[in-house]
Amino acid sequence: MSTSSATPLLTVEDLRMHHPVGAGMMQRRTGVVKAVDGISFTIPIGRTLGLVGESGCGKTTTGHCILRGHTPTAGRILFHDPDRGPLDICQADRRTLAYIRQKVQMVFQDPYSSLNPRMTVQEIVGEPLRVNQGLSGPALRARVEELLTVVGLHVSAMNRFPHAFSGGQRQRLVIARALSLRPALIVADEPVSALDVSIQAQTLNLLQDLQERYGLSYLFIAHDLSVVEHISDEVAVMYVGRIVEMGPTYQVFDTPRHPYTSALLSAVPRPSPSRTHQRIILQGEVPNPANPPSGCAFHPRCRYAEDRCRHEIPVLQAAGDGHKVACHFADSLSLPGIGQV
Amino acid sequence: MSAHDASSLLSVEDLHVHFHTEQGTVQAVNGVSFTVGRGQTLGVLGESGCGKSVTGFSLLRLIRPPGRIERGRIVYHGLDTELDLVQEPSGSALLRQVRGGEIAMIFQEPMTSLDPVYTAGNQVLEAINYHLDVSQAAAWDMAVTMLGKVGLPEPQRIMHTYPHQLSGGMRQRVMIAIALACHPQLLIADEPTTALDVTTEAQILELLQELQADLQMAILFITHDLGVIAEMAQEVIVMYLGEIVERTDIESLFAEPLHPYTRALLESIPRLGTRDGRRLQAIEGIVPSPADIPRGCTFHPRCPDFMPGLCDVHAPTPQTLTDGRQVQCFLYDDQRPGVRNLQS
Repeated sequence: MSTSSATPLLTVEDLRMHHPVGAGMMQRRTGVVKAVDGISFTIPIGRTLGLVGESGCGKTTTGHCILRGHTPTAGRILFHDPDRGPLDICQADRRTLAYIRQKVQMVFQDPYSSLNPRMTVQEIVGEPLRVNQGLSGPALRARVEELLTVVGLHVSAMNRFPHAFSGGQRQRLVIARALSLRPALIVADEPVSALDVSIQAQTLNLLQDLQERYGLSYLFIAHDLSVVEHISDEVAVMYVGRIVEMGPTYQVFDTPRHPYTSALLSAVPRPSPSRTHQRIILQGEVPNPANPPSGCAFHPRCRYAEDRCRHEIPVLQAAGDGHKVACHFADSLSLPGIGQV
Repeated sequence: MSAHDASSLLSVEDLHVHFHTEQGTVQAVNGVSFTVGRGQTLGVLGESGCGKSVTGFSLLRLIRPPGRIERGRIVYHGLDTELDLVQEPSGSALLRQVRGGEIAMIFQEPMTSLDPVYTAGNQVLEAINYHLDVSQAAAWDMAVTMLGKVGLPEPQRIMHTYPHQLSGGMRQRVMIAIALACHPQLLIADEPTTALDVTTEAQILELLQELQADLQMAILFITHDLGVIAEMAQEVIVMYLGEIVERTDIESLFAEPLHPYTRALLESIPRLGTRDGRRLQAIEGIVPSPADIPRGCTFHPRCPDFMPGLCDVHAPTPQTLTDGRQVQCFLYDDQRPGVRNLQS
């Protein structure tokens, strides 16, 4: 499971996305929200990086930056195209961007709002093919049929509208549309959190099958830690715009090095009533990214915080075996992982 | 289990709630019976469309047309006399006293369940003034105390804040303060932490447990989350398409689930710390529309233990096992052919 040997598909370097905040009638600029504040990670070919964190931590903004939904304030996002070599998404012109957006696709959280209710399944799944590859007629139809079969929908669904489908089936349609241009990377933003428990498993299995079949890479953005653990090879934990811990999934979950990760793991309600629960209840709430705490953003809620944490922002540093952590006291702390909490 | 023993606070008997729509009758709740004990937490587990929220709303008689409670009894034992809430006229003084005073409810969406044009204090005071005969000053003090009790910092200041100034977790705390202001004996909590972040969820669950011990109230905890239910409930009913398919204590639910649906549900969730296999055991198919309920056992089209000629023809009745657990499945019905003993 060494990641150093794997070929990178996407490299994000020091990505920053700062939104200006205005106030008053003239929208005078009064500050910035540092939604993403200097994050770096790599997704290898055929692997899954899980991005976890609570609402407002910047995980969705990160996903949008990768598709240039937002133009990042600073940093580089390199897409390593097998034919064209590395392409910087942040600097790409219109034509390059149009190309990259075929190779990088997105699956959204809510399958009810991400499908146009006035288009049939054939139009929805076929639109990217029509626009980008000029397919039409029987060729288009044949490809749409193929895609529907791949995601486990019946071909008879072709001429129906989204309202005729359940949430899980709609998410399959969204996935079929994302697959239509044979992407290399799929940014999946909370793809199963709107689905029922029994449907979640079907969708997760489908995503894993597709990964094996097409060698896809995923950036899997989610707040549900058990889902992320199940699907990810590597995990990055975000807190107020920064990655506080990153590494192979089993390491981050078994031996977390950051107090936030440890608390997050212990907060998950576990489906086993008999276990003795050593839960770490964090006080307070996630800070407002417009006004983050000084130093380490986690220090007001951290029980190990010392004076240094209030002044000095910890940097993400290697902690052995591909594990990285941003904590001043990572070496001296012994934190409970999922086995102990 | 008699519905009228001294420890029971609320007993629901054969409750049917139907929605008469233009597309036909939706049988949202179809013959549900259960009992909530005093000071106990009963978990209601199910996926969307199973009727768990409708059950919660009908306990407060908050079903709006085209929905209607068709038949059944909802007997509240918290007052001096037994009160069948179904029989009460919809505007009666007694019903209003029970609603909010004896039985209170909190909802999933703390964003939409508070009124944005009133302060948090105002909304807590409203509940107190409605139910209790106290002076303005006393009501104010009670509201401040309540806001403090739900763990809000500086309750005096919170009294003057509007919902938009509060975070999701704080709004849910205000909702809990409103619900508990009049010290109800039963709290209906309908997915109260689903919209919250995991660290906030942990805070709210802990708060509910503390308040329950403090105020000696019963909780009907409605959720789809197996982890949350393990944390909160002593007894659980599992619902599927408007029916209770299993009733069990919380340990047995996880140690030895009976109904094929419950078993499938438990196998389909990814669990922290288990990395044995790469695949989840997904349940086949989708939850049928409540307007188009399958014949026979409603779970038969998705059931791994489906017995043709039996499950798709006859509807199973609830079977009570020797240990008091209840399950509605032919696998446990020894009057029927084809029974398998899963206990061994």
